[in-house]
Amino acid sequence: MNALGTLKMTETKPAAVEVRGLAKHYGSVVALKDVNLSIAAGEYFVLLGPSGGGKTTLLRTIGGFHRPTHGQVLLNGVDVGHLPPDKRTTSMVFQSYALFPHMTVLQNVGYGLKIARMGRDAIREKSAAALEMVGLTGFADRKPHELSGGQQQRVQLARAMVLNRDILLLDEPLAALDAQLRKDMCLELKHLQEKVGITFIHVTHNQEEAMTVADRIALIADGELVEHGRARDVYRAPHRAFTASFVGENNILRGTIREVDGDDVTVDVAGHPVRTGRRGLAVARGAAVTLSIRSELVRMGGPGEALHSLPGRYSESVYLGLTTSHIVALAPGTDMVSRVVEDLPQVPEPGAPVVMSWSPGDLRLHVD
Amino acid sequence: MDDYANPWLHRLKWAYLLLVAATLMGPVFYVMYISFNANGFGANQYEFTLEWYGLIFSDQLLMGALGWTLRLAVICTLITVPMALLAAKYYKAARNKVLPVFLFLAPLFVAPDILGSALLVFFKNVNGALRSLGDALGTDALDGLFQLGFGTALIGLIIYTMPYAFVVILITMGRYKPEQTEAARACGANGWRAFWDIEFPQIRAGVFSACSFTMILCFNEYTRTSLLKGGFDTFTTVLISQMLNTGMSEQSYAMSSLVSFVAIALIGGIILYTLVRSDSLAREARAKAEPVMST
Repeated sequence: MNALGTLKMTETKPAAVEVRGLAKHYGSVVALKDVNLSIAAGEYFVLLGPSGGGKTTLLRTIGGFHRPTHGQVLLNGVDVGHLPPDKRTTSMVFQSYALFPHMTVLQNVGYGLKIARMGRDAIREKSAAALEMVGLTGFADRKPHELSGGQQQRVQLARAMVLNRDILLLDEPLAALDAQLRKDMCLELKHLQEKVGITFIHVTHNQEEAMTVADRIALIADGELVEHGRARDVYRAPHRAFTASFVGENNILRGTIREVDGDDVTVDVAGHPVRTGRRGLAVARGAAVTLSIRSELVRMGGPGEALHSLPGRYSESVYLGLTTSHIVALAPGTDMVSRVVEDLPQVPEPGAPVVMSWSPGDLRLHVD
Repeated sequence: MDDYANPWLHRLKWAYLLLVAATLMGPVFYVMYISFNANGFGANQYEFTLEWYGLIFSDQLLMGALGWTLRLAVICTLITVPMALLAAKYYKAARNKVLPVFLFLAPLFVAPDILGSALLVFFKNVNGALRSLGDALGTDALDGLFQLGFGTALIGLIIYTMPYAFVVILITMGRYKPEQTEAARACGANGWRAFWDIEFPQIRAGVFSACSFTMILCFNEYTRTSLLKGGFDTFTTVLISQMLNTGMSEQSYAMSSLVSFVAIALIGGIILYTLVRSDSLAREARAKAEPVMST
């Protein structure tokens, strides 16, 4: 096939998952508000957000466990909003393991194939292959209660993957695991997705987990899709102040527009002017805005460049192992953090005057 | 017993437990004891025999009553347990649980004679209303639809046993995680398959216990049945009638003992099976747990 043909096929292929104007209400409680989202086939997509933000509701609505109040759910271009979970092309991994305790591991994995009326030998063969894929060969005859948390999650994965569906939904799959195991499983999930090439939609409130696995991330809070984009972009260049506050360790500064000069904006923060890019946002003099800057981009000490630095008084340092956070009070109630890997030759005394500075372009303007 | 407990206190606790068990089961064992006495109740001399057990089957009154009781118990169980199971499922799914649980359990707190007589009055009124309706329609098909008899006794027993069956099933269902049903649905199972393949095997013990419990309750029940049964006798009504009029016959002691043996064996069997199974599962789990796998 020539390059043009390949391009045409890519262009006409519908998204694996598309939600249009999706809303879910529970009486007066609005769990999802008018969400629009498109997830490409073969993508590892993460729904990230605080607890109670609506990300699990969105995932469960895609999976058919909730009927939308209004809006559409399309899987591979087909509207499935009226279909129950067993009629959809999705499979799911649950947070609470949800293995069938009265069945062996092999029976758990093969259950969906049994429902699909596959032959006994084929079920055994496929289930064994799925168990091998998740590294659980030799555990086939065990009961779920004889497995550790990590092993149970792998069985869930095998049970979902063996069905050969093209969309896998993962509802906080690693939340119940300890920190080290979660890290290991994150990488395993990512490698598995790359190997099988199907669409993974993964819900988590853990940004490190999200960053590890995601091709793209959508931030969900208060039932709204706050922002979505490539994981790197969401981390490095958040559009919304909420994203900046949730992803990474950002300094969030409140200020007032002093001057708008073409693409540059000067904002008063804690009584001092700082300059940032306008990013095409509609801003006017005197408007209240929010600025964000990742703490690892902030330097403490030195004279600092005018309009790209702020004076303050040193408060304290917090040692975090790999990094150390130095906290500086810019004004009462307004702190700024500089996170550094190396140890400072001399740590200022609490209350000592210091300057926090950054490179032009690191500070981001938000108007929401 | 913990390491610091007083051993005498420990023994005292055990003695107390045995005393409670003896108080509960003493009368039953006494009836069993009498049932093996060739000289019957109150005789000075005890002579072991199985004769009364042999004579049970020639006692037409007792056998007839036993037959009616068995029929009532089986049909009542077949109707009550599925209804209780469905009610328990809906209850678990309900958001507001206070009202349904109150309504389901309320019959437990109504005295049996009040409920029985209320049903008696209700059936009489319904019969009257149906007769009037039949007269107006020019048919006698509706006459006596709720005449006292097997049907009315059955309804009385269903109302009596339903809350117990509901509670027994609900307790077992409490351990069931609804995510498993969702997982089954995600595997392609429809609602019925998810219930039958995944949920039922996990609540089966509760359902069977509810069946046993309902059967035993049907055998024990007297007040509602005697008020609603009409022209036949059940095992309990025969026994009580005998006791009040002529005193219990030796065959009645034997029959009472036989029923108690069956009930104790049934319940004891369930308890024993549950204990042995949980013990074997725990042993199996300990044996299979390998320290080498940390993930």
